[in-house]
Amino acid sequence: MPVYKTPTRDLRFVLYELLGAENLASLPGYESATPDVVLAAIEQTGQLCEEVLLPLNARGDEEGCRYENGAVTTPSGFKEAYRKFAEGGWVGISCDPEYDGQGLPQVLNFIVSEIACGTNLALAIYVGLSQGAYHGIAAHASDELKRRYLPPLATGRWTGTMCLTEPHCGTDLGLVRTRAERNEDGSYRVTGTKIFISAGEHDMAENIVHLVLARCPGGVPGTRGLGLFIVPKFLPNADGSVGLRNLVRCSGIERKMGIHGSATCVLDFEGATGYLVGRENAGIVGMFSVMNLARLAVGMQGLGLSEVAYQTACAYAKERLQGRALGAPAFPDKPADPIIVHPDVRNMLLTMRALTEGGRALAHWVGYAFDVALRHPDPAVRQEHDDLVQLMTPIVKSFLTDSGFEIANLCLQVHGGHGYIRDHGVEQLVRDARIGQVYEGTNGVQALDLVGRKFSQNTGRLLRRFFHPVDAFIAAESHTPGMEPFVSPLAKVFGRCQQATLWIAERGLADPNEGAAAARDYASLFGYVALAYLWARAAKVARTRLAAGQGEDADFYRAKLATAGYYVQRILPRATAHAAALAAGAEPVMAMAAEAF
Amino acid sequence: MTAIKKAAVIGAGTMGSAIAAHIANSGVPVVLLDVVPPGANDRSTLAKAAIAKLAKIKPAAMMDKRVGALITPGNIEDDMSRLADADWILEAVVEDLAVKRGLFTRIQEARRPGSIVSSNTSTIPLRRLVHGMPEDFARDFMITHFFNPPRYLRLIEFVKGEKTRADAVETLRTFADERLGKTVIDCHDTPGFVANRIGVFWLQTAMRAAMDLGATVEDADAIVSTIFATPKTGVFGLVDLVGLELIPYIGKSLAATLAPEDPCRAVLEVPGVVKRMIAEGRTGRGRGAGFYRLSEQGGRKVREAIDLATGEYRPAREPAIPGLKGAESDPRAFLGRTDLAGRYAWRVMSATLSYAAMLVPEIADDIVAVDQAMRYGYGWKAGPFEIIDRLGAEWFAGRLKAEHRDLPALLRTPEPFYRTENGHRTQRTHRGHLRIVEPEGVLRLAEAKIRNRPVLSNSSASVWDIGGGIACLEFHSKMNTFDRKTLSLVRKTVDYIPTNFRGLVIGNDSENFSAGVNLGLALFAANVAAWPAIESMLKEGQDAFRAIKYAPFPVVGAPAGLALGGGCEVLLHCDAIQAHAETYMGLVEVGAGIVPGWGGCKELLARWCARKDRPQGPMPAIAQTFETIALAKVSTSAAEARELLYLGANDAITMNRDRVLADAKAKAIALAVNYKPPVPPTFVLPGPTAATAMSLAVDDLVKSGKATPYDRVVALALAEVLSGGDTDITETVTEDTMLALERKAALTLIRNPQTLARIEHLLETGKALRN
Repeated sequence: MPVYKTPTRDLRFVLYELLGAENLASLPGYESATPDVVLAAIEQTGQLCEEVLLPLNARGDEEGCRYENGAVTTPSGFKEAYRKFAEGGWVGISCDPEYDGQGLPQVLNFIVSEIACGTNLALAIYVGLSQGAYHGIAAHASDELKRRYLPPLATGRWTGTMCLTEPHCGTDLGLVRTRAERNEDGSYRVTGTKIFISAGEHDMAENIVHLVLARCPGGVPGTRGLGLFIVPKFLPNADGSVGLRNLVRCSGIERKMGIHGSATCVLDFEGATGYLVGRENAGIVGMFSVMNLARLAVGMQGLGLSEVAYQTACAYAKERLQGRALGAPAFPDKPADPIIVHPDVRNMLLTMRALTEGGRALAHWVGYAFDVALRHPDPAVRQEHDDLVQLMTPIVKSFLTDSGFEIANLCLQVHGGHGYIRDHGVEQLVRDARIGQVYEGTNGVQALDLVGRKFSQNTGRLLRRFFHPVDAFIAAESHTPGMEPFVSPLAKVFGRCQQATLWIAERGLADPNEGAAAARDYASLFGYVALAYLWARAAKVARTRLAAGQGEDADFYRAKLATAGYYVQRILPRATAHAAALAAGAEPVMAMAAEAF
Repeated sequence: MTAIKKAAVIGAGTMGSAIAAHIANSGVPVVLLDVVPPGANDRSTLAKAAIAKLAKIKPAAMMDKRVGALITPGNIEDDMSRLADADWILEAVVEDLAVKRGLFTRIQEARRPGSIVSSNTSTIPLRRLVHGMPEDFARDFMITHFFNPPRYLRLIEFVKGEKTRADAVETLRTFADERLGKTVIDCHDTPGFVANRIGVFWLQTAMRAAMDLGATVEDADAIVSTIFATPKTGVFGLVDLVGLELIPYIGKSLAATLAPEDPCRAVLEVPGVVKRMIAEGRTGRGRGAGFYRLSEQGGRKVREAIDLATGEYRPAREPAIPGLKGAESDPRAFLGRTDLAGRYAWRVMSATLSYAAMLVPEIADDIVAVDQAMRYGYGWKAGPFEIIDRLGAEWFAGRLKAEHRDLPALLRTPEPFYRTENGHRTQRTHRGHLRIVEPEGVLRLAEAKIRNRPVLSNSSASVWDIGGGIACLEFHSKMNTFDRKTLSLVRKTVDYIPTNFRGLVIGNDSENFSAGVNLGLALFAANVAAWPAIESMLKEGQDAFRAIKYAPFPVVGAPAGLALGGGCEVLLHCDAIQAHAETYMGLVEVGAGIVPGWGGCKELLARWCARKDRPQGPMPAIAQTFETIALAKVSTSAAEARELLYLGANDAITMNRDRVLADAKAKAIALAVNYKPPVPPTFVLPGPTAATAMSLAVDDLVKSGKATPYDRVVALALAEVLSGGDTDITETVTEDTMLALERKAALTLIRNPQTLARIEHLLETGKALRN
């Protein structure tokens, strides 16, 4: 069965030894976010998730959600678990205290997500969508709408959704047909069908706040005629209690590969009353700000699953006795050695660990930058960090979900035939992990976002926020004794990434197919380089701590160094393969005629 | 044939004075006369005031400040005797037949026999102007119709009368072509001549169609725009530029003279909203408001547009028309759209193009004249017949037929108007396709391209055989900027020429010579911290330009339009420059927070050092070079480039854009005789003491607020290069050292966030950031 202990030691390392997150408390509004408070919050959420969410995970998968007559019943126990989670204040952990949130940093919210997703992804999805809806309303809606909708979302009394997809309209949102018409009182009537709506209907909260993308009255075709609307399941009364049932109806839920506990709904809006968020025809802007946060949140899903998969595989590899270590037996007194003695198993475990810990550093590096971009008093500093967040969002989403699936798959592999049996709960991880690569913009779309929008924005200024610090780090550390094994492989792939970037910029100008054909390999290359940078920084910290003689923590730092070494020597070579592949250009991709397939 | 050595312009209004200025630009002295205003103290005050105004107007009418001295002011009461030695007398007074004829009688008394008299009228037929005038006046008389502003618009319409001497026409044609740099077209004596006849029809049709169909001005301007090779301002934008009041003015004269059945009559009625705007003085950019205006709202400039239905301003909107981007690649498809955009485009373009087709040969002998008139008089990128060819003459005629519209005779033949036959461009005439004959001394790469494949080529540059043993290197990336491929082709060209050609010209047919290095790619490289790539790009540029300089054959630069940054630097390495009069040269790198790094500092310094009339010692030359580069001075004409020493003693100026390459080629052929490459310069420079002197000067500018602290950083880096780095007056500094100093300065600066912010801002806004 899946094993999960909250990785508090590694989280502490990432926050306070690698990133310097003690500075969070010096950002205006985050005065209370001292290391004590943040670490205590991690302890508490970890305990709740381990004790309440984790035991429900397999049951949720087996039972799934049930649909009957417009209503959705979540798996048994979900309702109670959700209530505990909400009552702990975890839904609104980084929401504004003015709207009943906890006012803690966003990076802490990402950590809570990581843990919740690691213990029960299906349940955590409901929370993620509430946060998305909260964010969209907070960023763009009028004060009146904010006062009405934000507090119940922040406290978890209500949940939220994002309604974009329609039967004929997925990635290409310009095709949206759902339409909004003006009512005399300033509200709108929203009509149309939305599909793939996570948390679109369920029994865990008294109301559901749908954020709906719909065509405005007279809106032009394409994305520029769209508006963003709040459509509540129940129209709220003036006192905040729920009133009349709105004309939005769940007409079914999808049967899916994984995340069975998460209700994926078809929603019919039949002239439902809606309220405009922001301006007419500016809906896509509002939706993007929700989506950017949602993409980072999906990255946390990949990360959480990586952690549970690694721990589960590790536990199994230590207790499963099978065969003998090559050379001399490790445990001659036992009938066989635990499989962890085998190089193949060790390779798998180290790959899982290096990608998970590296991914964690990446995720919370970006999360921390998110907070600086939000709160720093100097606008130039805010801009720099916002640039970094924008640049890294597609990387966090795609790299962490790609590695999430790879790691879940490796976990199954370590289990051998038992991994394929449902009772072990391991194959569920593989199925649950798969969706991350697909939704919120497939990882192919993330890669296009990276080489398209993120490259071209301000003539590549966003890239500066990654490449310049890495360049400076390499320059500063290339002669530091003992750092050569980490810095030199980093410098090598960093050079390839620079070359690839210029190659795409130059070629892509002449032929957009070149940029598009290179995108996926480029995004992977970028991700591996980012992890190499963070692993090299981690190695520097570990070496410094060990040199200072860290008694009981010495094992932790030694393991860090070993994992860093494994990453740069055994995983990082993948980056070179991606660089070589993309440099072959679009020709081999486009050469064959469509009819020949 | 008598050449024009002296000219006179009568009428010192906007057109008359600007034409006088342009005649002076060509180096010919000109007398400018106007009436004596009642009660004036200074009887020549009108002409004098006009000349004073000429020195100030933008865009500048005069090519450099010395031009003004060639214009002599006077008045028609006291100074008619000055017409006696004028070879050409141009009348540009009010469009009033009686006034003009009265003036002609007085000119006839004052002028010398055989001098040429012309009128700049745009509305009065020639036959009415000369009616009843003496025979010898009529023989010496014609219409020369300039377009505003005369320095910049290339078109002159010539109308000759039955009696006009052929040699008078040829004398003015040669002068207009070679000295004034104009494209002359021969028009018949018909209303509005050629350009205004079609132009006004087009403008009126487009404005009225927008109102009829309910298109906004923004949408209309986005549709009838670059898609159809008409100006990118669109029609409303263009009318704002030329002034709304001009439309009813020309319209009125057309209404008085056009045949009753002419289709133009149907669109001449000025729309109510335009009348109201004129009445309220909202006549275009000149008055700060027209169809568009910028208004202040809360300290922010907001662009507004007229709502055609109400005549009131509202915030301008981005055109909401899908598929605009890239539509110019298939204008025919756009015309086939059934939405408002497609219907509007078809209504305007079908009417305009078939009107133009209807008018040949009524208004001009051939279609080339009509196409040139619209290109050079109204800023179209292609003339109406060229546009019909793009759409397909047969398709166009077919659709008109399907709509049961009258088919002009020219469109009844389903054949393209232009063809290429045996390596020559031909035009369709009533006698079949005939070769288009260019005047002697006109050379465009376009013709070489019809006949030959490039000798060398990649996606950024090509080399063409232009005859006479001379090759031409053409840059053709976006804005002709330089990237790695450009530089590598330069190197290949230098290797290739000696065994195949005698010399090289660097030039092209496009609007601009080169905007310098591709800053976008450079910024990208800097953003990803690819410092070695930037260093090698600097080195490659220096090596390529040095290869040009020391090649064993002559290289002549042939710039026109912008030659900025690297585009200026490549020219500074040529043996000679044959510049178009409208050449805007400058080392503008400091605007991007860097210093010229492809030999520009070194070459300009060498030019100032070599100047014979300079004061002793290196400091004056360094100071001049420093000032020119630190202030990013760009010449506003080739004449001014001479003052800035971007052009030197070996360099010359060509007035007519179409003659630049031919003149450059002739120069290359002349230089090829016993050609010897130049001797590398050496410099004697003061080193740090000079840098200190310059830094003190910069400090003062920073203190007085004229320079920013980061200007100082850039200026000090420049000062270090120009003072020779770590040298002193007893040593000689080589070219290599100077180039290494340039590289070092550029590489140091480009690592600074302020430099990156400057480049980013420049690329995004086209303007320099003063950070």
